[in-house]
Amino acid sequence: MEEPITRYEKIDFLGEGQFATVYKARDVKTDKIVAVKKIKIGSRLEAQDGINRTALREIKLLQELQHINLIGLLDVFGQKSNVSLVFDFMDTDLEIIVKDSNIVLTPGNVKAYMIMTLRGLEYLHQNWILHRDLKPNNLLINREGILKIGDFGLAKAFGSPTRINTHQVVTRWYRSPELLFGARQYGTGVDMWAVGCILAELLLRVPFLPGETDLDQLSRIFQVFGTPTEEQWPGMKSLLAYVQFKYCPVQSLRHIFSAASDDLIELLESLLALYPPKRCDCTQALKMPYFSNKPAPTVGVKLPMPTNITKMELEKPSLKRKLLDNIDGGSLVKKLQFDRI
Amino acid sequence: MDDQACPRCKTTKYRNPSLKLMVNVCGHALCESCVDLLFLKGSGSCPDCNVPLRRCNYRVQLFEDAMVEKEIDIRKRILKDFNKKEEDFATLREYNDYLEDIESIIFNLVNNIDIINTNKRIEQYKKDNKEAILKNKAKIGREELELEEILEIEKLNEESRRAEIVRIEQEAKKQKIREKELLIDELMFADGDAKDILTTFTQNIANHKEEAAPILPKVTQFSTGVKFTRGSGQQPLPIIEEGPLYKYEPPALPDRCGPDPPPISDIIDKGYLQHVRPESETEKAGGYSSVLPCLRALQDALSGLYHAS
Repeated sequence: MEEPITRYEKIDFLGEGQFATVYKARDVKTDKIVAVKKIKIGSRLEAQDGINRTALREIKLLQELQHINLIGLLDVFGQKSNVSLVFDFMDTDLEIIVKDSNIVLTPGNVKAYMIMTLRGLEYLHQNWILHRDLKPNNLLINREGILKIGDFGLAKAFGSPTRINTHQVVTRWYRSPELLFGARQYGTGVDMWAVGCILAELLLRVPFLPGETDLDQLSRIFQVFGTPTEEQWPGMKSLLAYVQFKYCPVQSLRHIFSAASDDLIELLESLLALYPPKRCDCTQALKMPYFSNKPAPTVGVKLPMPTNITKMELEKPSLKRKLLDNIDGGSLVKKLQFDRI
Repeated sequence: MDDQACPRCKTTKYRNPSLKLMVNVCGHALCESCVDLLFLKGSGSCPDCNVPLRRCNYRVQLFEDAMVEKEIDIRKRILKDFNKKEEDFATLREYNDYLEDIESIIFNLVNNIDIINTNKRIEQYKKDNKEAILKNKAKIGREELELEEILEIEKLNEESRRAEIVRIEQEAKKQKIREKELLIDELMFADGDAKDILTTFTQNIANHKEEAAPILPKVTQFSTGVKFTRGSGQQPLPIIEEGPLYKYEPPALPDRCGPDPPPISDIIDKGYLQHVRPESETEKAGGYSSVLPCLRALQDALSGLYHAS
């Protein structure tokens, strides 16, 4: 085995999470830009259990998964007591794009993002894996306009009749009502609800249901979709954390998403159905008329990008750029975070 | 300018050279630091006339007389609604009366004469001419756009003209140098009489000058004045690229190396579910279904059956 420490040349610091630090690096062997996620060892107590659980999940699951819309785990290497994971390098994520007020999202853009998300998720569900942490922040996008689902730290196999799962998964704003009610046995519905929330956020450009507490989250959900009755959601009252909510009438999604087309409203209603068995799965969603109707999804390279990321150079650099390069090439390169791929 | 002073803190321009007087809609001035102090919360009342004011409406005083500022404010506000043009009136007389009306309203407001009735008059006018006001507003916007367009064209023309002049000058300079060099070369190496050479060269130069015809500026407009490139002052519509429409394709199944499990409809109908624990009501309410473990178990059982070592 070759020495991995020398194989990856650190270029830039990208970010730090609870469990890991992420660096941008160049793979010397293939001359590709990659993201290296260095898992933190944590306190001694955590270290006693061995390798961090989220890292273990990512390694275990991603090694066997291969799909264009899932982040690719390229390599795993250890160095002393550290473990590092090497991923495809992604330029941006959906959260940045949604929050960038300079970017206009056309219906075609939204459709393209949804198709890529659902296709990745369909593959994941088909292989009996729930992602359990879908949010715009975890939908990574590279400069070719390809969306990949990332961060498998909470992903888990599903479909076991005996295993109990925790309901403390998924970032609150994207958490489905059954999880908020404390369901310990659930299915693909938890991911589908999150996809629905992401779609809504793409349309509104602000989080659709930004709850401040778990209870506030539920009341926000019911303010839109109406408080469910026992007929609409059989067994709801037997859920572990069930709380009676005051009655709220159903609101028409058409009023909230006034610019959305009929087929899009139909998809939203299907993704955000309160009763989990009624929620569609990825295959059903992708077969809905919204996706095959006009406007066509935007082709990858034409999807918008934040301005600080230069798009794939499709044509020759313009004259202006050349002139600028001649004037002060060095500093410009640094400022634009230009990388050769 | 030296006698400019803040009426509240009495600071003068002499004592504080960076003194900036600000005025609000009431026309009473205050210096910047007094505004900061009094309107800490964003709103308060004028120390002179006790009129409730908002901080964001304070602006730097341009004219020495604060009353002028006040009039400008009021005029701006009134003209926003009283925006009829001469074309809107049948006779010049009516238009003049209308202008007179505006002036008297502004005068009343500036000098606090009969404020209540004047305001009523404004309201009445607004109500009566709601549509006309809106229409004129849109028209003004269009006119401004056109004006901008014209300015833009002029700027472009100016620029191209200047570039052209620079180019011609440079060309002429180069030409002169070249001619000089040629002449010297000729004088050095040719066998002819120096005088002859000189005369032929001066003649050549004179001929060249006549040849250099005036260069016509590039045409950017049709003869009707419509520009070649842009449509009539409107932003071009963003081009929406039409890609191919989406068609659902099932993801490629992994090679299970065994027979396919029965479809979900068969699992439900043909009794497969009798062999798994049915889901409880709570589990169903959470989105779990016994079809899931059943299908998964079937997949697990069948995959790899065709495997030959």
